[in-house]
Amino acid sequence: MKKTMIAAAVGTVLALGTGSALAAAPDWGKVEAKDITLFYPGVSPLEWIQKGSAHGGARALKKGETCADCHHEETSDMGKKIASGQKIEPSPIAGKAAFIPVKVQAAHDADNLYLRFSWKQPAASGAAKMDDKNPVKIAFMLESGGKVELADQAGCWATCHTDSRTMPDAADTKTKYVKGASLAEGKFYDLYQWRSGEKKGFDGHVADTRVMEGGSALVSAEGKQDGDTWTVVFTRKLAAGGQGDVALEAGKTYNFGFAIHDDSAAGRFHHVSLGYKLGIDAKADITAAKQ
Amino acid sequence: MARLRRPSTKYSLGGLLSVGILLGVLFWGGFNTVLEATNTETFCISCHEMEENVYQEYKETIHYNNRTGVRATCPDCHVPKEWTHKMIRKVQASREVWGKLTGSISTPEKFEAKRLTLARSEWARMKAADSRECRNCHGFESMDPEKQKQRARKQHEMAIEDKMTCIDCHKGIAHHKPEGMTDEDEE
Repeated sequence: MKKTMIAAAVGTVLALGTGSALAAAPDWGKVEAKDITLFYPGVSPLEWIQKGSAHGGARALKKGETCADCHHEETSDMGKKIASGQKIEPSPIAGKAAFIPVKVQAAHDADNLYLRFSWKQPAASGAAKMDDKNPVKIAFMLESGGKVELADQAGCWATCHTDSRTMPDAADTKTKYVKGASLAEGKFYDLYQWRSGEKKGFDGHVADTRVMEGGSALVSAEGKQDGDTWTVVFTRKLAAGGQGDVALEAGKTYNFGFAIHDDSAAGRFHHVSLGYKLGIDAKADITAAKQ
Repeated sequence: MARLRRPSTKYSLGGLLSVGILLGVLFWGGFNTVLEATNTETFCISCHEMEENVYQEYKETIHYNNRTGVRATCPDCHVPKEWTHKMIRKVQASREVWGKLTGSISTPEKFEAKRLTLARSEWARMKAADSRECRNCHGFESMDPEKQKQRARKQHEMAIEDKMTCIDCHKGIAHHKPEGMTDEDEE
């Protein structure tokens, strides 16, 4: 263990000798990390981002620009405005982190995609726990081919709606969903999540509703907290396994977004990324190169 | 009437001209002084309707207080600088005297009820003039997108490409945005 800590200190985290199931995982010290700052999104569902009188970028969106084209560099500032209740957050939580900078690394081998997320645990707000089982949850979604409306531009926003649960006045029964959902036609988001309390990975999808099971691509999801740093590694098969799994092929890019439920949060009270592209041996915001 | 048309036998041409010129200067000077007096922030906020509502909102914005110490006051944005346009605007604005007399926006409630209508009217004026008053200070030709933040850079590049005008996007830049705006207001 001491050896691992020393290795981490020089920036070379090795899975060797830890006895984890990640024996096949790449040498993360050699994989380039992309910095992505997650921010607190308040009430900004798909309907809001398209409404010109509320969102100045609605016009840009109509023209085909992506959210990240305008906002990638300012997500921390956006988070501050929203978490404080200055904008689009009707019920601000005192002390809630405004943003979370995350390092994202990706790699693949002949069989699997490996995704590693690491971030510093922000200060706790001290507010009531919404999910008392899980202090932290991290999820990512993949979409293939831009078949879901706005998936190419807006990332996870294509699944987030004004009537999804925990939105103001929304029913508790309604989850995330995509418009015109069809598993057969590929109009869905492939969803993966790791929960810190349950210490478990989930392989689900978002189609006409969000389900946390049905997929069989997830090989493992492992997370740990070292001091104040969280590290979570997902291993998933490149091939589509079960229902709602996106098949990943070399040379292609996929719509990718991720979110952290920090501070025992649930529903919309998470920190989210804008929409990015994940490439498998292809140039993208995050490229998973073959190891 | 005939006397007005008959040349004077009593006064010299020079005397008549001098008196005429003097009267002209006095009249023009007086007119201009009054005109310019109505073209100041002090005049605008001498009405409580302006002072209590839009002026207070404007004081929170970058056009009032900023890093460089340049200030745009009410007439800088709301009254054209060039004479002809200024006169047209002034004549139009005389309607506001009627509004003042009848108290059409004399309370904060009445002001809020009319805010969208008033704002739309000013937005339409600015758009029709290609944001002329904004452009007295700002211009794409002197703008360096490289020095702007990512979002501003992107938006301005699109605006140039689509030949848009400042007010198309910058509504509510100096005053609160009205309630009840529609998507058409943003196009």
